[in-house]
Amino acid sequence: MANPIEQFKIQPLVPLKVGGLDISFTNSSAMMVLSVCLITLFLTLSVRSRALVPGRWQSMAEVFYEFIAGMLRENVGSEGRKYFPFIFSLFMFVLFGNLLGMMPIPVIGFTYTSHVIVTFAMALVVFTGVTVIGFARHGTHYLRMFFPEGAPIATAVILIPIELISYFSRPFSLAVRLFANMTVGHIILKVMGGFVVSLGAFYLVPGVVPFAFLSAVTVLEFGIALLQAYVFTILSCIYLHDAIHMH
Amino acid sequence: MGLGFRIGAELVAGVLVGVGIGWVLDTWLKTSPWLMVLFLLLGGAAGVMNVYRTMRGMDATVGLGQASRRAEQAKDL
Repeated sequence: MANPIEQFKIQPLVPLKVGGLDISFTNSSAMMVLSVCLITLFLTLSVRSRALVPGRWQSMAEVFYEFIAGMLRENVGSEGRKYFPFIFSLFMFVLFGNLLGMMPIPVIGFTYTSHVIVTFAMALVVFTGVTVIGFARHGTHYLRMFFPEGAPIATAVILIPIELISYFSRPFSLAVRLFANMTVGHIILKVMGGFVVSLGAFYLVPGVVPFAFLSAVTVLEFGIALLQAYVFTILSCIYLHDAIHMH
Repeated sequence: MGLGFRIGAELVAGVLVGVGIGWVLDTWLKTSPWLMVLFLLLGGAAGVMNVYRTMRGMDATVGLGQASRRAEQAKDL
């Protein structure tokens, strides 16, 4: 019987140790490399022809481009354009991570977005970047946002710590949202798959029931993979907006 | 799972960050456990505020002033 948690196990492919630090090339890193290679191949090959009337592949690449460009335009405004490369890379990396995790890839098959450290690292980069941009654009005035205008000054003692904690909790909720959705979905898939095998092996007809359910959940999981990549990106856009336009 | 999960994550994130800040300050200032207790309560308040904002659709906004402005803008539209 397959263990539903086993799929999240990190397995070193090329063991590597530098000064007591384990930096082995694992299945997780292999999937990250694979997704970056696939994104690069997809985007460079599909726009190579530079046709005015795009072909099938080129329009697919243009859909992604237009989607993120529109998202930035709507949520950040025209100043957001220079952050396009970062937001686009972030979206593609999360999206391919989620979608490749749904593929049955031998040996290295793994969903790197199902590990909280991966999502947390990405959320922390967004959070740090947004904070740095906020301070660079507004200086110490950026600290104003921890205290709402017009509130009695006596409430500062309690309001400012609460606002600070709320601000620092953002990378956590951003990371946990993506990681938990991916983890929970993959566990459900594995458990349902186990039902199909154990029921179907002995009684064919009852095995059909979990199999039908599994098929539906798989479709749902693809939807969640797309949706969570979208949510992660749009939240980064909104944080960016708030750092750029403070007032 | 969607909304309920988000609410839970917001609440827990607030409390955890509050406790974390309190614990770090405690080990640094050697005032254990008083700051952790204080920041646990503040973290709980921050978590409840996060939940409130999520329910009002202002979850992504920084700062209370900005959040209420965004709510007013949404009302005008």
